[in-house]
Amino acid sequence: MDYKVEEKSAPGRDKVEVLGATFEEGRPEVGGEAGKWRQKLGTREEKLKYLQTGERYWYSKEWFGSEKRKNPA
Amino acid sequence: MAEEKETKSIDQVTVEMIEKAAQDGVRVVFSRAETTKPCPIGAEGSCCSICAMGPCRVPLPKGKEETPEEKKKRTGVCGATAETIAARNFLRKIAAGAAAHGDHGRRVVEAFLLAARGEAPEFQIKDEQKLLQLALDLGIDIGDRSNNEIAVDIGETLIKEFGKQEGELLFLKRAPLKRQEIWRQQGVAPRGIDREVVEAMHRTHMGVDQDYQNLLKQGARAALADGWGGSMIATELQDILFGTPAPVYSQINLGVLKPDEVNLIIHGHEPQLAEMLAVVAQDAELVAYAKSKGAKGINLAGMCCTANEILMRHGVPIAGNFLQQELAIVTGAVEAMVVDVQCIMQGLVDVASCFHTKIITTDHRAKMEGATHMEFDDRHATESARAIIRAAIDNFPNRSQNVRIPDNRTGLIAGFSHETINYLLGGVFRASYRPLNDNIINGRIRGVAGVVGCNNVRVTHDNAHVIMVKELIKNDVLVLQTGCAAMACAKAGLLVPEAAAQYAGEGLASVCEAVGIPPVLHLGACIDNSRILIAATAMVKDGGLGDDLSDLPAAGAAPEWMSEKAISIGQYFVSSGVFTVFGVNWPTLGSKKVTDFLFKDMEDLYGGMWAFEPDPIKAAKLMIEQIDKKRKALGIDKARERVLYDMEMRRELEAA
Repeated sequence: MDYKVEEKSAPGRDKVEVLGATFEEGRPEVGGEAGKWRQKLGTREEKLKYLQTGERYWYSKEWFGSEKRKNPA
Repeated sequence: MAEEKETKSIDQVTVEMIEKAAQDGVRVVFSRAETTKPCPIGAEGSCCSICAMGPCRVPLPKGKEETPEEKKKRTGVCGATAETIAARNFLRKIAAGAAAHGDHGRRVVEAFLLAARGEAPEFQIKDEQKLLQLALDLGIDIGDRSNNEIAVDIGETLIKEFGKQEGELLFLKRAPLKRQEIWRQQGVAPRGIDREVVEAMHRTHMGVDQDYQNLLKQGARAALADGWGGSMIATELQDILFGTPAPVYSQINLGVLKPDEVNLIIHGHEPQLAEMLAVVAQDAELVAYAKSKGAKGINLAGMCCTANEILMRHGVPIAGNFLQQELAIVTGAVEAMVVDVQCIMQGLVDVASCFHTKIITTDHRAKMEGATHMEFDDRHATESARAIIRAAIDNFPNRSQNVRIPDNRTGLIAGFSHETINYLLGGVFRASYRPLNDNIINGRIRGVAGVVGCNNVRVTHDNAHVIMVKELIKNDVLVLQTGCAAMACAKAGLLVPEAAAQYAGEGLASVCEAVGIPPVLHLGACIDNSRILIAATAMVKDGGLGDDLSDLPAAGAAPEWMSEKAISIGQYFVSSGVFTVFGVNWPTLGSKKVTDFLFKDMEDLYGGMWAFEPDPIKAAKLMIEQIDKKRKALGIDKARERVLYDMEMRRELEAA
C-alpha cells in the first residue's frame, strides 16, 4: 500500500507530517442499509428497554437532568 | 415591504427554466409576480373584509407620525380599530395554518386506524418502537397485545384529540414541566385541536372579540394546538406507519429528472399516496409497461413537503421546492404531476396545458379545474397508485421534442429525526443529548437555530435561506431545517458533512466532524417542525441549559415565509418560548400596538417573541444576539478555568 503523508499544523508547533487516510473516499449508496439503526433493536423487550434508556427523559425515572437534579438548586 | 429584489433566484437551474418558460411563452409564478403586485394595505394587515359593510381599509399613514386624532379616526365603519383588525387578520392566519396541519393530522389518524384494523392492508406498522413509545405516552396497555391492537387504541385516543372540548391536549405532557406551567398560567393550554380553530374563527367574526391582546391569546392557543397537537400527531403516526427517518443520501434539483424515463412528480404534503407510489414505481410489471411505451423506466421525484416525506424515508430525489413546481413542467419532461393538498399553485394547470404533462389531483378536498382527478383510496392504496403510474406511462409517447433538463443536481443527507439525533449522539447503549448540551456549554456550539418555511416570489428565490444559514453556521450555530427551507440549503450544498469544514465556524465544524453530521440537519416536512419541539425539549430535560425551552440558546426563523401555516408554526414556536424572526413582510405593521405586543410583550408572557427583519444577515445577527443573551443568562457566555479536582478537594466540596 502507498501511504500518503499530509502536512498539518499542530498546536504549539510548526507544521508536522502525519499519515494520511488509508481508505478510499466514497459516497453512501442511495437506498442502502447504512444508517438504518432502528433495526438493531429486535424484540419488544429490547425496544422498551431502549425507550427507558435512550428516551429516558420521558420514559424512565433513572436519569438526572433539569427536572430531576442530583444536587437540587 | 422588502425592497424590490434584483434577481429572481440564486439557483441557476431555476434561472435557466424561467428563461425557457419565457422563450416558450409560458406564464409562471415569476412572470405573474411582475404584473400582479401585492396589496400594500392587505400586506400590513390593515384591510378588514369580514362583513359586507366593508371591506374597510385603515392603513397606517406613510412618511409621518400619526396624531392621536388621526389614530382615533382610523377605524372601520363598525368602529373596529386598526389593532382589532390587525389582530383579527393575524389570528385568522393562525387558524388557517393550524387547520391545515390539523386536517393533515386527522387524515393520517384515519389511515392509521384503517391500517390497524386491517382495512387498509397495504399499510402496515413499520416502526414498532415508535408505536410502543406512543402507547407509553398515552397510557395505553402494552402487555402481550399485538401491534395492531395497541395501534387501534392509539388511533382511537388520538382521533378524539381533534374534537375534545375540555382538558388539555395529551402531547402537552411531553413539554418541559416549566413550559406546561407557563401555558396553564397564561390560559393557553389547548383543549381540542378543532375547538381552538373554531373558537378563533368565531372570535374573529364581526362584532365578537375586540381586544387585540385577547385575540392574540387565542392565537397562541390555536397555534399550540397545531405544534403540540395536529402536527405532532401527524409526524408520530407517519413514523409508525412509514418508519422513523434515519440518515439517507439523495439528490436535489430539476436535474434529477431523466430524459429517457417516465418522470412522475409527487407534490403536496400528505405521505400516504407518495409512500405507495415509491413502492409501486419499482413494480416489474409497471416497469415493463413503461418500456413497452418506449421509456427505459419510471423515475419518481418529489416536490415540496411530500418530497421531504419520501426523501426522509426512501431517499427518493427531490425535483425542487415551492417556487420550482411550475418549472418542473417547463422542462417538458414530466409525464404527470400528482398532487394532494397544500402549496399547490393553480397555475400548474395553465403551465401544463403548454406541454404534455397531466396534472392529477388525488384528494377530494383539493380538486383543480382542468386537472384529471384520480381519487386516492387508503383501502385500495396499491390499486390507486398503480392507476396513477399507468396514466403517467400512457402519457410518455406524447412527450414533444421541446425538452430541456438542466444538468444540475446536488447531493444531500436527510433523515435527522429526534430519535436519530439522540442515537447518533450516544449509540444504542446510551443515546443522549448530553454531547450536544456539553458542546453548547463549552462554547464549541454557540446555539441552535431552526430555519424553516417556504419560498416567496417577492424575494429572491432561496437567497435569504442560504445567506442566513451560512451566517449562522459560520458563527457556530447548529441549524435544524424542514420544508422548502431545507431544500434551498440542500441545493447550495449545505446538507452534507463536507459543508462543515467549508462553511462552519471552527467549533461547530469540530463537533460535526466528530459526530459525522452536516452543520445543517434536515428534519423533514413542515409538519415535522414538531420534531424540533421534541429535540429542544430533550435538550432542556438533559440538563445544564435551564429548565424551560425559553432558557435554551436557540432561535427560529422563516426568512422566505409565504403561507398561513408558517404564521401558525412561528406562533407555536413563540408560544413555546422561542425567539422567532420572519422575513419578506410582516402582516401586522398597520398597528404599532399589535406589532409591539408580538415583538416585545409576548416575551414577558411566553419567554419567546416575534421579530421581523427582511435582510437575512441582519436577521441572523438578531438570532445570534438572542442566543448570546440566553448564554449569558445561563452563565455560559465566558470560558471557565478548568480545574482538575483531587480527592481532598472533592471531599471539601461534598462537605460544603
